[in-house]
Amino acid sequence: MGKELLKNEGGDTLLLLGNEAIVRGTLEGGVRFVTCYPGTPSSEVPDTFFRLSQGAPYYFEYSVNEKVALEVAGGATLAGLPSLCTMKHVGVNVAADPLMTLAYVSAPGGLVLLSADDPGCHSSQNEQDNRIYARLGGLPCFEPATAQECKDMARDALLLSRKLETPVLLRTTTRVNHVRGPVVTGDLPATPYEKPFVKDPAKYVPLPASARVMHKRLRAILDGLVAQSDASPYNVESGAGELGFISSGVSRNYLADVLEEEGLVGKVRLLELGMTYPLPENRIAAFLSACKKVLIVEELEPVLENEIRALAQARGIAVEILGKSEHLPRLGEFSTANVRQAVRAFVGQPAAAVDALTVPADLPRRPPNLCAGCPHRAAYYAVREVYGDNAVYSSDIGCYTLGFLPPFRAADFLLCMGSSISTGAGFARASGKPVVAFIGDSTFFHSGITGLIDAVAYKHDVLIVILDNRTTAMTGHQPNPGVDTTIFGENPNPVDLMALIRACGVEPVKVNPLNHKATLTALTELSKQTGPRVLVAEYPCPIHARRVGQAKKTLPARVAGDPAACLAVRDNLACPAFAMVDGQFTINAEQCDGCMFCVQLSPDLKPGKKEAK
Amino acid sequence: MTRARIFFTGVGGQGTLTATTLLARTALDAGLPVTSGEIHGMAQRGGVVESTLLVGGYKSAIIAPGEADVILGFELLETLRALPMLKRGGFVVGNSEALQPVGVCLGRECYPPLEAVLETAKGFAAQVVLIPCISLAEQAGTAKAANTVLLGAAAACGALPFSVADLTRSIEKYLKPKLVDVNLKALALGAEAAKAGQAA
Repeated sequence: MGKELLKNEGGDTLLLLGNEAIVRGTLEGGVRFVTCYPGTPSSEVPDTFFRLSQGAPYYFEYSVNEKVALEVAGGATLAGLPSLCTMKHVGVNVAADPLMTLAYVSAPGGLVLLSADDPGCHSSQNEQDNRIYARLGGLPCFEPATAQECKDMARDALLLSRKLETPVLLRTTTRVNHVRGPVVTGDLPATPYEKPFVKDPAKYVPLPASARVMHKRLRAILDGLVAQSDASPYNVESGAGELGFISSGVSRNYLADVLEEEGLVGKVRLLELGMTYPLPENRIAAFLSACKKVLIVEELEPVLENEIRALAQARGIAVEILGKSEHLPRLGEFSTANVRQAVRAFVGQPAAAVDALTVPADLPRRPPNLCAGCPHRAAYYAVREVYGDNAVYSSDIGCYTLGFLPPFRAADFLLCMGSSISTGAGFARASGKPVVAFIGDSTFFHSGITGLIDAVAYKHDVLIVILDNRTTAMTGHQPNPGVDTTIFGENPNPVDLMALIRACGVEPVKVNPLNHKATLTALTELSKQTGPRVLVAEYPCPIHARRVGQAKKTLPARVAGDPAACLAVRDNLACPAFAMVDGQFTINAEQCDGCMFCVQLSPDLKPGKKEAK
Repeated sequence: MTRARIFFTGVGGQGTLTATTLLARTALDAGLPVTSGEIHGMAQRGGVVESTLLVGGYKSAIIAPGEADVILGFELLETLRALPMLKRGGFVVGNSEALQPVGVCLGRECYPPLEAVLETAKGFAAQVVLIPCISLAEQAGTAKAANTVLLGAAAACGALPFSVADLTRSIEKYLKPKLVDVNLKALALGAEAAKAGQAA
């Protein structure tokens, strides 16, 4: 989806991804400043802004991490520009420090924080529920469920933020970010919005004395918002009867389909919540009073459930409230399947039998794998050759986390973005065992560098391998501060990774991991040393190189000698270009990237000839 | 109104999501309400790619076991793996050709035979049509059009709420001009193969 997202006039019906709809929505809300750190499921929001950024009516940056992203956006809203800051749920933890004070300091130009949560851990290390951050930080919260709502709520969140000068949370989940549906667009604002900054330190500097006043002001805003939440068009009631359902976010979709298929539409009461903090307390109280029994349908934590229970108690409403249960667990995603069982149990129907086929549980799995030509494969192979199982491998977040899988098994523990160096250092100090910490270039800039400084300051005995593939590959090849090239050409201000490491106090060794002999020599040498050591294994991600037109023309590798003699290479590299055809080892020329790493490991493998396919 | 839950499954790089979006556009052009779901993230790394298209007024963009009116399988093993999603009396339209996962390439695991799909679905599915999508796409001009071959087959055997003619219009309208001819050929080859398969 391209330029139509920037079209001034509305009225079009576009088929948009939820994340593209968020882009359009904030544009309709007058967004002029966008920062982010990419991460699934949020990435298509910043990626779309980036792709459309040339000549667009907003400033955009891929910030170095989420904390910086929120602080930069915080500066922009203080300067008076409507701002958007996007990240995945765990990114909000990184940004939590500025976030907890942001609402005190206020957002004069308006600021929306997009938190893309990941129930079910599709592509994340946890499934935390960031609706709790809305409560903790004092941010009004919207939870869209469809592409159209992504667009509308993104717009209205920014407009509300501008009006109240307070930051607003737009909380999505994976299935909402990646829904694709029709969206009717509205107009873009005719004139750019700006609220000029007027110096007023008592208002914007949270010293203890002023912070107390700021907190009071924030609570007053949130208390005042209850009435607005009561009247919000996003909080919708329908149906009749004594049995009630209250739901928010993507669970609303599952509930709607189940009520339809179970013939319950109109026969039960339904309260759907889109603006979920502050809750529409009076609306909910009236709804509870009309019901004998209410089922709360929400994924992850019982956030609505607990607040609604408290509300019923405070208002003295005698209603039975049900929520988290066998059918509606606290873990993972919901679906029509478990919502159906919960609804049937709630209305007193027997459980629905699922009429479905079964297939053998031991079908060959298809785990994601490092791509053919991936330089990480070569780096892992070399590290394993030197250390085998004698070292403990501290891993980090990126494509290289796939080194977890055999044959590399190069991940023994992982906490979060940027943790490999510091956690590895602590492990080494506590255990006395050799530790190798793997980290990517983008993750190093994100938050690995502080771990390196700590390792230097305290002489932690850790070998740091920076897997520098010149891009942020995992999340879709976004630029990071160190890259040479982006889709718009050369990076004018690359940060010099080697100089940075040197300035921290370590003389790094740089190798091309696809040069096996040189890498092995460097690793062997480093393995004999102690203290903090850094190997930079630099080679561009082949997918990124192709995208920016820098891929070198290469020939595929081929089996030139005895295929049976290549089985060790097959097992040790697990390259997706390897195949067994009629029981014999071969290299699929279509899949082979031509990295020529495998040919360095076996005399039976050679670079292909031009005519060979 | 036509209501259908369509489940797509394939391997990263097979054009599963492109095919899903093309069908979604076709539904919108036919005036049908539509919602579609995708899972991103690991798609580029050779993992399984699943997506959904729900036509006719569903709100959810996901499909639970036993709910899919149609399974479109872009790869044989993944088609087999997805069979628990099928609703009794639903359609399975799939690629008969394999993309070996790494465990099979390394000789650690065995790729299931084509018959596994047929036998598992027998008596449960209304119809199972498996055609060699990659070979037919190569015949059309590029293996990359294998996804369009499958769409042609699905439309021709009546699995979709759209005709081959509807899909022809969508290809002409939404694909890059230089890709139109090869995809129209692929669509026709898929349709032809499905009809031949049904007759057999």
